[in-house]
Amino acid sequence: MPESAVAQGWSPRRIPGVAYALVGLGMFFSIFARGFLSAPNLVNVGAQSAILLIVALPMTLIIMAEGLDLSAGAVLGLSGVTLSLALVQGAPLPVAFLLALAVGSTFGAINGLLVAVADIPPFVATLGTMGVAEGLAVALTDGRSVVGIGSTLPALYAGKFIGAPFAVWAAVLTYAVFHVLLYRTRFGAYVFALGGNREALVLAGLGANRYHILVYVLGGLLSGFGALLLTGRMSAGHPTAAIGMEFDAIAAVIVGGTRFERGNGWLPGTALGVITVGILKNGLNVMAVSSSLQVASIGVLVIAALLVDSIRERR
Amino acid sequence: MKSARSFHIPPIVYRMISVALIAIALAASTDAFIRSENILNVLRQASLTFLIASGLTLVVLTAGLDLSVGAVVGLSACLTGAAVKATGSIPLGIAVGLACGVVIGIANGLMVTSLKLPPFIATYGMLWIVYGINYWYMAGDTIYGFSDEFKSIGNGYALGVPIPVYLMIAFLILGTLFTRNTTYGHEIYAIGANAEAARLSGIPVRARLVLVYTLSGAMAGLAGVVYLARLGSAEAGIGDPLLLPVIAAVLIGGTSLFGGSGSLCGTLIGALILTLVLNGMNLLTVNAHWHPLVYGGVVLIAAGLDAAARKWSDG
Amino acid sequence: MNAVVQTAPLLEMRGISKAFPGVRALDGVSMTVHAGEVHMLLGQNGAGKSTLIKALYGAVHPDEGEFLFNGKTERIHSAADARRLGVAVIFQEFSLVPYLSVAENIYLGREFPSRVPGLVDHRRMRAEARRLLDSLGMSELDAAAPLHGLGVAQQQMVEIAKALSQNARILVMDEPTAAISGHEIERLFERIRTLKSAGIGIVYISHRLREVFEIGDRITVLRDGRNVAALAPLETTVDALVRLMAGRDVNSAYRRQAAAGAGPVALETRALCAANGLRNATITVRAGEIVGLAGLVGSGRTEFARALFGADRIISGEARLNGEPLPAGPAGIVRRGVGFVPESRKSEGLALIRSVQDNLLVSGLRRRFPNRWYRFKTAAGAAATLIQRLRIATSTPRRRVQTLSGGNQQKVVIGKWLEAGSRFFIFDEPTRGIDVAAKTEIFGLIDELTAGGAAAILISSELGEIASVCDRAYVMRDKTIVGELRGDELTEENILKLAMHHA
Repeated sequence: MPESAVAQGWSPRRIPGVAYALVGLGMFFSIFARGFLSAPNLVNVGAQSAILLIVALPMTLIIMAEGLDLSAGAVLGLSGVTLSLALVQGAPLPVAFLLALAVGSTFGAINGLLVAVADIPPFVATLGTMGVAEGLAVALTDGRSVVGIGSTLPALYAGKFIGAPFAVWAAVLTYAVFHVLLYRTRFGAYVFALGGNREALVLAGLGANRYHILVYVLGGLLSGFGALLLTGRMSAGHPTAAIGMEFDAIAAVIVGGTRFERGNGWLPGTALGVITVGILKNGLNVMAVSSSLQVASIGVLVIAALLVDSIRERR
Repeated sequence: MKSARSFHIPPIVYRMISVALIAIALAASTDAFIRSENILNVLRQASLTFLIASGLTLVVLTAGLDLSVGAVVGLSACLTGAAVKATGSIPLGIAVGLACGVVIGIANGLMVTSLKLPPFIATYGMLWIVYGINYWYMAGDTIYGFSDEFKSIGNGYALGVPIPVYLMIAFLILGTLFTRNTTYGHEIYAIGANAEAARLSGIPVRARLVLVYTLSGAMAGLAGVVYLARLGSAEAGIGDPLLLPVIAAVLIGGTSLFGGSGSLCGTLIGALILTLVLNGMNLLTVNAHWHPLVYGGVVLIAAGLDAAARKWSDG
Repeated sequence: MNAVVQTAPLLEMRGISKAFPGVRALDGVSMTVHAGEVHMLLGQNGAGKSTLIKALYGAVHPDEGEFLFNGKTERIHSAADARRLGVAVIFQEFSLVPYLSVAENIYLGREFPSRVPGLVDHRRMRAEARRLLDSLGMSELDAAAPLHGLGVAQQQMVEIAKALSQNARILVMDEPTAAISGHEIERLFERIRTLKSAGIGIVYISHRLREVFEIGDRITVLRDGRNVAALAPLETTVDALVRLMAGRDVNSAYRRQAAAGAGPVALETRALCAANGLRNATITVRAGEIVGLAGLVGSGRTEFARALFGADRIISGEARLNGEPLPAGPAGIVRRGVGFVPESRKSEGLALIRSVQDNLLVSGLRRRFPNRWYRFKTAAGAAATLIQRLRIATSTPRRRVQTLSGGNQQKVVIGKWLEAGSRFFIFDEPTRGIDVAAKTEIFGLIDELTAGGAAAILISSELGEIASVCDRAYVMRDKTIVGELRGDELTEENILKLAMHHA
């Protein structure tokens, strides 16, 4: 038995679900999707999954805390619009980036307050902020793409470092930070307690609300960060480009084994879930299945994952 | 003892007053408002929102949620469009739209009762499945060129009043009779107020839940038909922007997210308030891009008031 | 064993009183805890034990009385105060987080900082937890194991370790053996002896009287919120303790008029086992009878009731109502004429935000309106009749049931079964938290129903109620029936003896 099974987040008993899905889909597409296994395509899967991972990591913590963030995609869109507008106005990239992070975390804080303090059910609270963020993004841009953001950001995005694209490095680093945060800090332990036994936090004299809010702030912050990559990839800011990304993220988290009950979360599972979703989309794409059916198939994947849970429980 | 004696004005009266106030404010600020053409338009618009929101209200009364209604409207409109186009039969088209909603509603109900999935996640997964299937089915096409007879379902007038308004009134009466004057309705309120107590009172909770999700799907399916007739053309994205305003209408109508209280009359008023606000914005030439922001803001305010009222009454 | 110490006690509780609306939960209770002793706190359910413990960790604020720690008066406003004063409580409901390791749970909120700022030193924390667990004789617990994989007994150990890791000088154990058995109890006792020798004062609450003689040094018995005895185990016997806890004065104001003549068998169960843990329950209830179901909290009474009502799944065995097998699920069972007044009125019995009328009618909708059309006039008439018959004090039937007193709320729950036309009633703690007058009314009603040929099962923690109201009683322990008492045998003392674990 590894010395620190829990602390590391690796618990052999919990690997199955998502690993089977991943291996199964990988084999299926290797056989039936011509060109799926090629190196450029796999790099492509990685790059496509990068932004999703960045949104899915904080979503894992949010779901562990018995919550949900339906506003993640819209906030990412708004942050991207902010970033691009700032760049168009001639702001230097770091300043524009900070603005995007500020917009994201403000929305995160609002979500957190609505859920933790005002006691609004998370799916309704974040549905509301989704509307607000989407409305602001569309209104600020009149629904059009923001072009003319200069070449610094697209160049950064297109750059490769030690053989891997910038986005992949960004995702890997973010993962590392979240892994340390969840498994190596006090805050991480309290996130487990938020969904697992809130009373334990109160009895320990810690109070629960501030950690609950912080979890949502992280969600917003990372949406701001994701906006940097998305804007770089598209060389423009588009207000609705990220709409629906929250669904992919929630799907990845659930497929990865994190549940709404008892603070049952698993960060490596989320990473595997993101890759699973990425492979599913990419493989279907290679097989020339329309992108809309890809969306439907992710919905089926989520419900199948929960169905398997429900069957196991009944046994 | 004191609360029972104090004179109590039903909240619905306040909502009616706010409708009147908004209408007066609009009439005062723009001449265009009181033109009968505009008022009929407001009613027509409100009736479409109401048709979808009425089914959703039943679900929310049980403390559930149906996030798939917008997607169902879209799929129903497109399938109906295809059926009417192919056969020219209007009854067949309506049947197809209804059937589409009923099937999805039953699936939602079974996920919530048999698989015990949280309603928001079951219907959220369903939202994306339906969305994907619809976009795939339409493949970017638009179906148009319907007979005037069919279009009159959405566009037509009888005795100077738009047909959808008659539908709204019919379903308001039917729905109110169902919720107030049948034992089913009373059981639905009982489930929403306390599902466990309802079960231990001998109410077949699962069957009733399947019923309300089915009705919600059916109403969305029917609304899809009317919506199609109103617009005169079907494309995949037709239902996408509808979820937020429909939830907003239910919540400002005073139906509690926590279940067990609310009414269809309230939802009608909610739909009217929302439509009036939007109409006013249009008349004052506010860009339609701001709509999601308004919907989102309305959802947040209404949900916040609802949560606060609940805290207040709990202690 | 002898813990007579000359120095000031670790803790002295002096004249603690606490009143809740309608109930005097504590009435001048005093108790001292010395270093190195195990002080047993005994009493029936509702005697005031848990209120006293809550006052000790700041969850309840006493109206009168004081706490002296080492002779110094201290105020306890919150859990943090209690912790500062060296009080740790081992809760029956665990304060643990399922997806954290044993070590992380023990040190939740007091994590060990690592040399890298902001991080937790898991290695050191695990080592420290390891040392702690070893010192407590819990070597088999893996400090790195995730909590959710542990059994209840092991989780209990973690809870104990967590409490002790706070350097507590006073340790309160609330029924620590409720979830464990056999050699695990032996191990716990060994640990308690180790703690004693380390000078820790222990307050130990248990329903298993045998334990008093195994590890107790002194005994305090509470009854109805008052001290009734302070003694040493050597001075007493199990029977004497039972008498002290039960009291001679039966506090129930109601006495059943006359045992009805037993009619035909209404309910018969044979070796009933259910998914909620109920095992091997065999009983018979005849029409016209009130049959008690006695036992301590957790003995399986509620589980039995829920299994009978179809609220929890039956695994094996048989249950027949009027000779026919019971259908599955409450909906079918209600239609067969069974009514269930659940233990928790607010979470299981009533829709609090709905009106008195709606609550009264909810179970009888199908019977009252067979064609599914709800007639407001009929409904109002039915509700008015019930309100009058049960003397429910409400200004109007449209009033939210939330605003009624406990006794009136309970009458609403009973009323809904009258409306449903039930002929077999299961009452689970029907008089909990309601005043004496309402209690008498409720028992009168049960009496009246059974006199009319209905049958009833009555679950109550107040043994006096069972003894005075029921015709017969079954006693439960460890989720099964352990005995039946009838006629003159049906006394509080006999119930307690059967219900408690003693040789």
